[in-house]
Amino acid sequence: MKRNLSIILSTIAVSASGISLADVPITSWGKPSLQGNWDFATVTPFQRPAAFADQEFLSEDEIAEYEEAVRAGRAVNASREFAASGEESQGDVDVGYNSFYLDQGTTMSTTRRTSQLIYPINGRMPPATEAAKEAGAYFRALQSRSPLGPEDRNAFDRCILGFNAGPPMRSGAYNNMMQLIQTEGYVVIQTEMVNDHRIIPTNGGTALPNNMRLWKGDSRGEWEGETFVVTTTNFTHLSRFSGTGESMTLTERFTRLDEDRLEYEYTVDDPESFEDKWTAVVEMQNTEADLFEYACHEGNYAMPLMLSGARKQEANGEEDDTWLPSWSR
Amino acid sequence: MHLKIATLLAVLSLLAASCSEENIEVSVEINTAADSPVSTTELSLDGIWQAIGSASWNLEGHTASKTPVTRVLGALGGIPAGMSVVEGGEIPYLPAALEQRNANLENWNEKDSVAKCYIPGIPRLTYMPFPLQIFQTESKIFMAYEFGGNSRTIHMDRPGTSAPLPSWMGYSLGHWEGNTLVVDVSSQMAETWFDSAGNFHSGALHVEERYTPIDANHIEYEATITDPDVFSRSWKIKLPLYRRLEESARLLEYKCVEFAEDLLYDHLRKGYEGPKNLDGSVN
Repeated sequence: MKRNLSIILSTIAVSASGISLADVPITSWGKPSLQGNWDFATVTPFQRPAAFADQEFLSEDEIAEYEEAVRAGRAVNASREFAASGEESQGDVDVGYNSFYLDQGTTMSTTRRTSQLIYPINGRMPPATEAAKEAGAYFRALQSRSPLGPEDRNAFDRCILGFNAGPPMRSGAYNNMMQLIQTEGYVVIQTEMVNDHRIIPTNGGTALPNNMRLWKGDSRGEWEGETFVVTTTNFTHLSRFSGTGESMTLTERFTRLDEDRLEYEYTVDDPESFEDKWTAVVEMQNTEADLFEYACHEGNYAMPLMLSGARKQEANGEEDDTWLPSWSR
Repeated sequence: MHLKIATLLAVLSLLAASCSEENIEVSVEINTAADSPVSTTELSLDGIWQAIGSASWNLEGHTASKTPVTRVLGALGGIPAGMSVVEGGEIPYLPAALEQRNANLENWNEKDSVAKCYIPGIPRLTYMPFPLQIFQTESKIFMAYEFGGNSRTIHMDRPGTSAPLPSWMGYSLGHWEGNTLVVDVSSQMAETWFDSAGNFHSGALHVEERYTPIDANHIEYEATITDPDVFSRSWKIKLPLYRRLEESARLLEYKCVEFAEDLLYDHLRKGYEGPKNLDGSVN
């Protein structure tokens, strides 16, 4: 009964937004097809900027204006990328990266929203708990000191997790691509970032015991009407997504809207870390582009260089953090 | 019950395929099956599979031996013995390449890229002692490997294409020959080995894999290796893959980076005081 109701509700919601289910490819076993390669790069800000404080959606003109402002901002950055010294010497070159390496998208999400966050309704992250602030300070301290070993660096620098590969997936600096493979029994998410996959049973699966903790958590899925809903728990205390901890419950909802679009909504529920839940939504775009093999660890020259640099500074009695990227200082 | 029907169908399709290839007159029942198009469900390789044996230590026949970690793991750290999985027993190296293979054996643990948690490539990932899971769809077949969270997509829908550049897992094109999945793997990196015994290849490596379900729970796996820079002729390995039958069978994580860091970076560590183990304890 509950299931029927959710089908009706999702049908109504879909109709209300002008989307016809007839546009959605269907598998031979009658479920919406999710299979394909999906691009989730977007310039839609994660949190709602102050300029849009009370505004949830944008007009076409406002979207064009916003996208133009993003392009202009990038052009300004790119123009100073080779400055050798001075206040803006880092400019576009923040320890190794300039605009050549970035692939953050050029368009806002087709949600036309002012932010990816849709809950809390102000589009801003809820306050962190005291415990989460302490944990955050601890990990920031590790990140900002000369590394004593590889474990000082976060899971992204170590090529264990991808900074935008999640779970959940969120548009970042580059590699904002995933492949979905779908059988009746499973949906597999292959992310380009750090070349990793999640295997999600469609029958609800069986939860892992509490003591078995996985870097990407334990994902189990079920169809709710036209939406594939994935619940993920059993994270490690190092699987940190925007300050979450190991007791996060992540709920992701995948809804194929038409040939081109996949709505991706996720809710983070982690009362130990945040005073409220938070929910974000974007629309991923179908793409014919292939995923490349992002062999992160194989090419992680930065790790031995950071460690050997740190040991050399110690040997010379130097204290210097200018080698750290701006986001670590 | 469901499994029995699937098994029956698989056996029927197996018979039908081999019979139709050889033009043998068979009973009416099987002829009927051969006349109808074979559905992908009947040919399914879907499921969790694993090789048994010690081919990932050495493709050729070998007796049990020590490793550098027997010093700390004792009897748990030795290399188990195994018969050769190479057709004819030995790999047909060119003379200079054989010298290279033998040289690889010295300090092999520092040279084998898999010890560093680098992507092992194909065919090695197939017979490492970790499960793999196959997801079969019409246009793509996805193979997920527990070791290192690696995977590859086998394109069933783009014959004749090639990769824009080499990669550790290479570029896989598949097609069906009867009930056998044939996969052509090209554009792999030169740095991978076939095992931990120094058996190697060049960037010219070409692998043709054949996955043939021989009953509901076994796949016959064959890989033909061609690399004229290293071998005097093509050669073949053959071994079974076994279905993992545990009700709870699933791929878990073996994020090998965290283990390889001990090998790669120990000499670059300072006395460590931050979190190390997943449970938060400090070594």
